[in-house]
Amino acid sequence: MTLTDLWVSFPLIVLVGGTLVLMIGVSIVRTHKLALGLTLLTLILSVAAHDIALENITTGYELFGLLNVSGIQVFFNVLFLLGAIVTALFAYPYFNERMERCEEFYILLLTATAGAMVVAAATHFASFILGLEILSISLYAMIAYPRESHQPLEAAAKYLVLSAVASSAILMGVALVYAASGTMAFAELNISPESGERSYFLLGQALICVGIAFKLSLVPFHMWTPDVYQGAPAVVTGYVATVSKGAVIALLINYVQATEVLSYTGVFYAVVFVAVASMIVGNLLALLQTNLKRLLAYSSIAHLGYLLIAVLVVNTARPELVLETVLLYVAAYFIITLAAFGIVNLTSEHATEDNEQMEAYTGLFWRNPLLASVLTAVALALAGIPLTVGFIAKFYVFAAGVEGTAWALVWALLIGSAIGVFYYLRLIYTMVKQVEPGAAALPQVGTQSVVAVTVLGLLIVVLGVYPTPMIDMIRTIVQASGF
Amino acid sequence: MATVIPVDMWPFLIFCVVVFGLLGVMLVASWYIGSKARHGGAQDIPYESGIVPVGEAEDMRLSIEFYLVAIFFVIFDLETIFIVAWAVAFEETAWLGYGAAAVFIGMLLIALLYEYRTGALDWGIKRRVYEPGRYAKVDSA
Amino acid sequence: MTILYLILFLLGAGLVACLAERLNVNAPRWISLLAFIAATIWTGAIWLGGVDPATGFYVVGELSWIPSLGINVILKVDGLSLVLVGLTTLLGIIAVVSSWSEISTNRGFFQFNILWVMAGVVGVFCAYDLFLFFFFWEVMLIPMYFLIAIWGHEDRSYAAMKFFLFTQVSGLLMLVAIIALVWLNYEATGVITFSYDELLNHEVSGTVASLLMLGFFIAFITKLPSVPVHTWLPDAHTQAPTAGSVILAGILLKTGGYGLIRFTVPLFEEASRDFAFVAMLLGVISILYGGYMAYSQSDFKRLVAYSSIAHMGFILVGVYAFNELGMQGAIVTMIAHGFSTAALFMMAGSLQERLHTREMSQMGGLWVKAPRMGAMTMFFVIASVGMPGLGNFIGEFLVLIGAFKVNVPLTVLATIGIVVAAVYGLSLMQRSFQGTPNPQVAAMEDFGFREISVYAIMIVALVWIGVYPQHVLDLAQPTLDALGVAL
Repeated sequence: MTLTDLWVSFPLIVLVGGTLVLMIGVSIVRTHKLALGLTLLTLILSVAAHDIALENITTGYELFGLLNVSGIQVFFNVLFLLGAIVTALFAYPYFNERMERCEEFYILLLTATAGAMVVAAATHFASFILGLEILSISLYAMIAYPRESHQPLEAAAKYLVLSAVASSAILMGVALVYAASGTMAFAELNISPESGERSYFLLGQALICVGIAFKLSLVPFHMWTPDVYQGAPAVVTGYVATVSKGAVIALLINYVQATEVLSYTGVFYAVVFVAVASMIVGNLLALLQTNLKRLLAYSSIAHLGYLLIAVLVVNTARPELVLETVLLYVAAYFIITLAAFGIVNLTSEHATEDNEQMEAYTGLFWRNPLLASVLTAVALALAGIPLTVGFIAKFYVFAAGVEGTAWALVWALLIGSAIGVFYYLRLIYTMVKQVEPGAAALPQVGTQSVVAVTVLGLLIVVLGVYPTPMIDMIRTIVQASGF
Repeated sequence: MATVIPVDMWPFLIFCVVVFGLLGVMLVASWYIGSKARHGGAQDIPYESGIVPVGEAEDMRLSIEFYLVAIFFVIFDLETIFIVAWAVAFEETAWLGYGAAAVFIGMLLIALLYEYRTGALDWGIKRRVYEPGRYAKVDSA
Repeated sequence: MTILYLILFLLGAGLVACLAERLNVNAPRWISLLAFIAATIWTGAIWLGGVDPATGFYVVGELSWIPSLGINVILKVDGLSLVLVGLTTLLGIIAVVSSWSEISTNRGFFQFNILWVMAGVVGVFCAYDLFLFFFFWEVMLIPMYFLIAIWGHEDRSYAAMKFFLFTQVSGLLMLVAIIALVWLNYEATGVITFSYDELLNHEVSGTVASLLMLGFFIAFITKLPSVPVHTWLPDAHTQAPTAGSVILAGILLKTGGYGLIRFTVPLFEEASRDFAFVAMLLGVISILYGGYMAYSQSDFKRLVAYSSIAHMGFILVGVYAFNELGMQGAIVTMIAHGFSTAALFMMAGSLQERLHTREMSQMGGLWVKAPRMGAMTMFFVIASVGMPGLGNFIGEFLVLIGAFKVNVPLTVLATIGIVVAAVYGLSLMQRSFQGTPNPQVAAMEDFGFREISVYAIMIVALVWIGVYPQHVLDLAQPTLDALGVAL
């Protein structure tokens, strides 16, 4: 271990150190405010530590043969940390109102984020599985955190069981791949076509793909998503939808580029099938939802399908375009999704149950124009309509699809978006409907969360109208990482 | 590809067949060997082979500490494995290994402190962290 | 840059109008009205400023936007754009006045949407960057959706959804075509650019060109609309509030025709030429089908809506006749139809405000009660039917002469459409304003000064175009020359 190793892994060390400090803090004095403060401090210091890490890497830095840290990983890590900051800010009023012991939530948030950072940088199965489990186990507890309520427990149990199945699929796959290739490092996984172990290898790859598809909730491995999204507290749902999926996306793009697994025709078409099915089925099922959280769950399935287009053209389009698309889409998706669940969360702060039925948002435009505007921006962004960052993201996916001449995928994206417009507009229409007299009053909302949501809403619009800074930044990162 | 199954796939397929075969044998065998009595008698009573239960199932409460202790055992038992592994390679890993093990044991200590302070190690009466206005009430198990 | 300021001005006025509602419920409509008057004067000033001989445009503005993707804000105003921008701002005034007393809820947000639609439309008419064009193309949808969904009539949810879905999906087809075109250009030249002028130099040919052309074509004829993608129009027009119908019929439909002239034809000249017969056939079918459907309607607004489909068919026929006369006719029709149909929709709005119905069976003999309304309706029905001396006649006549040179049978069929127009136009007049007075209608307030003055603007415009169309033709001529249409 050299000093550079230390500096490059510094953000992770800061994060884990902060977690330990928080644990000690919780052991000594239990105050919600202090826990939040320590968490935010840790997260912000970890963001700052990335600056030090960046100074020590050129195009990429191989850490212990387990992690590879490049500008792209730094981008993802900072995104996860910012996502965690927003989650912590939303969690405070939410848990403060309804729970006695809220401090442990922040410990779990920090460990989950550490896990996500490890997954995103993994170049070896050992670090991949380790990170994934740290992330998943923290998530089980986060989902079940309001332990007095029935729904979160149910959601956590479902997630636990199904996630364990996915993890074991990945483990089995890793075992087979290892048996065939004799290595667990991504970059060395290539196996010659003549090799006798080729079929083991492919079977292993297929199992790994199944596990990853589960984590990304792609059709047909999406069954858990709506239930977990609905059952988990809105803050946690936002976190699951963004950070946990973002980590796996980062891993996927790493994995696909290092192992060239998509150059196997069978795997390629299987993933194409998964992508198309996610786009179509996700959008179709979203049409039937009356619960906002479930609607967002199905919409996230579709969005991951869109994102998969960029991953699939990895061999036919320019690699820098693929990476730009993935980074931009993930960043946009983070902003939009956090804003969406932020709104659900902040209207639920003072309620016993989450405010998740679409009916509850009837006439929001006339009752709370600010929140309605943000939610409209969210809906338009998810639908990919200009003036929002969602359009820029979708534009990139279209560009990647066209450049990769993946016409079938472009068509699926088109059809999926068309169906999508339908239910996003229905959400908007619900908000502009006149409130019927005698309708339940809108729950009271806290100022702090409103500010956070408004900032996210503004980001959606500002980056949608003037995306140049973001695009330039991502391009610089991608180029600096050697593409 | 056609329909020819590659030679090297045979062990895997045989493995699958054996697993499913074993499952099938177990299910079928238990059907034939096992007792046919479905309900009635002592069938629906827990511990049917011995002590007759007293009261309803809801009254059958086991102290949560049993589970906690079991979990702690599993956790700290696992940590021992790592420490033993390091101890065996103490010479080879040198100071770097020592540092890593120290960090690891330090983390365990913090976890232990946390468990102690949250009252997870107490049996019976929970001695939670006293904090005015918040956890003033000391509740019993 | 002036034109960008004009767009920003309209957007800003929208925000101000929205916020001003808190101070005074009547403030938004005044702000909106003044903004449109200012914008009209502004457009007039651009016209008087004349063409800059250096560039050949009235106004040229360029601003870097997303340089790494070759996307820039390029706004240029030539004669065609200028005429259409003028139409937009003028109809803005009319739309605001026509809904002066109709809207009673959320007035600020209403004016906000009107101003933002108009800003989007101005952008569409001036964009010389395909990304920017698509951007404005979609941006004008959202406020329009709100106009229909919030202030529309009984079936507004369905109508608004249908409108949005049709335009959005066809728009996505165009987006794919745009990206593919840019990518082909990149393959050939190594430069990523969305600039219209640069893409114009890149010749695409063969099947690819036909497919890309179809992407644009479908988006534009959905907006126009033409059979078979017209079904959103009767619903959207009927359910929209008066101002919404005026904007939809007066301007939004014209963006489709404008797109065909500006983008589809010049970008894919070969493919368009091969496709001309099908396009003209679609146009003729629209003319006849629209006329037939219009005649069988009992709802005043729906009748006018279907008549729009018929008139838009002439635009399609004119553009794809591929000669100067046809193009000129299409452009004149766009302007004239903007005024005549907007006026008829306003009339429907006024009737609904007074009678609370749009059913013509509940009208009849209204002339006696409101002679001024009757006279106005008569004028615009006749204009819409194609009476010589009024704008619509010039447009349709030019289209027919242009088409005659290319395809006689189709021209004959299109001409029958004019006869059909007379049938449904006069039947509209007959069923609503003439005949036996309906006993259920007690008394009806006639037009006041506000309404008359608005109609006067439109009458002047229609007579001007009808008697001396040379102004419009001269303005549009350089555009047509630049298109290089084989004459």
